[in-house]
Amino acid sequence: MKTITIDPITRLEGHGKISIFLDDAGEVERAVLQVPELRGFEAFVVGRLAEDLPQITSRICGICPTAHHMASVKALDDLFQVTPTPAARAVRELVYSAFLVEDHALHFYYLAAPDFLPGADAPAATRNVLGLVAAVGKEVGLRLIDMRRRLRDLVAFAGGKATHPVLGVPGGVSRPIPESERPKIRELARDAVAFARDTLGIFHKVVLGNRATLDLIRSDGYSLTTYYMGLVDEQNRLSFYDGWLRVVGPDGAERARFAPRE
Amino acid sequence: MSKPKVAIYWLASCGGCDEALVDLGPSLLEVADAVDLVLWPAALDFKVRDIEALADGAITASLVNGAVRTDEQAHMARLLRRKSQVLVAFGACAHLGGIPGLANLVGSAEIFRAKYLAPPFVDNPNGVVPTPHAKVGAHELPLPGFWPQVHSLEQIVPVDYTLPGCPPPPPLILAALHALLSGKLPAKGSVLAPERALCDTCPRKPAREPGRKPVKLRRVHQAAADPDQCFLEQGFVCAGPATRGGCGESCIRGNMPCSGCFGPPPGVEDQAAKLVSAVASMLDTRAADAAALAHELVDPAGTLGRYAIPASLLTARRDRTEP
Repeated sequence: MKTITIDPITRLEGHGKISIFLDDAGEVERAVLQVPELRGFEAFVVGRLAEDLPQITSRICGICPTAHHMASVKALDDLFQVTPTPAARAVRELVYSAFLVEDHALHFYYLAAPDFLPGADAPAATRNVLGLVAAVGKEVGLRLIDMRRRLRDLVAFAGGKATHPVLGVPGGVSRPIPESERPKIRELARDAVAFARDTLGIFHKVVLGNRATLDLIRSDGYSLTTYYMGLVDEQNRLSFYDGWLRVVGPDGAERARFAPRE
Repeated sequence: MSKPKVAIYWLASCGGCDEALVDLGPSLLEVADAVDLVLWPAALDFKVRDIEALADGAITASLVNGAVRTDEQAHMARLLRRKSQVLVAFGACAHLGGIPGLANLVGSAEIFRAKYLAPPFVDNPNGVVPTPHAKVGAHELPLPGFWPQVHSLEQIVPVDYTLPGCPPPPPLILAALHALLSGKLPAKGSVLAPERALCDTCPRKPAREPGRKPVKLRRVHQAAADPDQCFLEQGFVCAGPATRGGCGESCIRGNMPCSGCFGPPPGVEDQAAKLVSAVASMLDTRAADAAALAHELVDPAGTLGRYAIPASLLTARRDRTEP
């Protein structure tokens, strides 16, 4: 009997260890993921001031702090029974959208894509964002860095800092975004959409354009048949800040749709 | 000549310190070029066994973020200490315990209850909680022991330098990395940030009317803060007087009070205790109901010692009374 241990698991936020137990024939008998870490937010937020929680709960994850910050602020709106002003809602949604793009860029380029380029068989020393940038060209790397910096600067402008922003208060935000910023933000949004499209092009080339990779991700071991749940707007379009929870089956057919409060 | 080896590791943390390193942007590419990164779980695929295989002292510098609360975290802190010439406590959790350190106000039994027993969405009729030894089928599956208290890094291993902040801001990180790589480091034990309190560089105006003292504490949802005036003068609790500067006053510029993530300024042993005196001196104690004023601060430990409970005198007392 042999055990393969992967410790720690890498290129994600969080601590984890995988043990794969092999039988005498060398086949996988059992595989276990352990999360050897616990901080206890559920317990230690009790007794804190409610309005401090958006800043405390953002520390659940420093890669996606804005998501935790926003979820907490929305819970505060509900708790205090206040509706954010239209301007405050727009600021929150703008910040969340900027975060979403930079976070997805981080996920794709820094965390996930190195599995495909330079690839799972590449040496550990190059199977990372540096190896990816070396393979796709420094130009792409510098554009990625610049794009994320501008998006994170916008989050920091509205919320003090990009990692662990402070803008959320019950019913609103801590500071307005002046009208004079509009042209710069518009330009950023246009550039972010262009960057996302070009990233999709890289995905098609690097992931879908590679036979071996395609066979891998279509294999049984890589596939999971599941239901999906996400936030949608009135017209069932994907929405990130607010809306209805919609559940679809593996076939894409709607199985449930309800307000998060329910 | 081989490049200096650098390790980046996380203990009880959130990944925000790693994100702050990514925020170095083009400078990160330069640093990655100048050094041999041997461990960085957030971004690179190296394993613990790669570090165990190195000779003692083979790593030029380890940047360790996160607090310490489990056997495994203590083991990793000791392993990286042994393998490194320089060990940097990176960020508020390694420095003072940080947000995870708030758990010291609660205790481990309550954490297990709140996490594994109490939630309505947890189905756990046998009341199973994590134990260091468990079996799945015939397989032994050890889990690191969970300590009663959270500790700062310095409480576990000797620390050479500290980069404060939640997370440390990229300009301070870059300056520290340049100092490390050029060997031009300050005296051991130094905090790699300015030697002054946040108030010294705060962009806000102090009192509009000198001598005027607020009689009432205000909470951030109760009034819109004047973006140009001192928070304390407006009655909002701001950790500025008892917090080291160097963050760029980022939260203040976001129109929210400082919550103290840089820890105490030079010469202050206990940040929360210092803040108690700063807040007390701002209240109008001539008012007849001075005691009632003090009670308006409903969570003094969590508000004034937000990032520093494990490093504070409070925890030292708790430790001694623990069974």
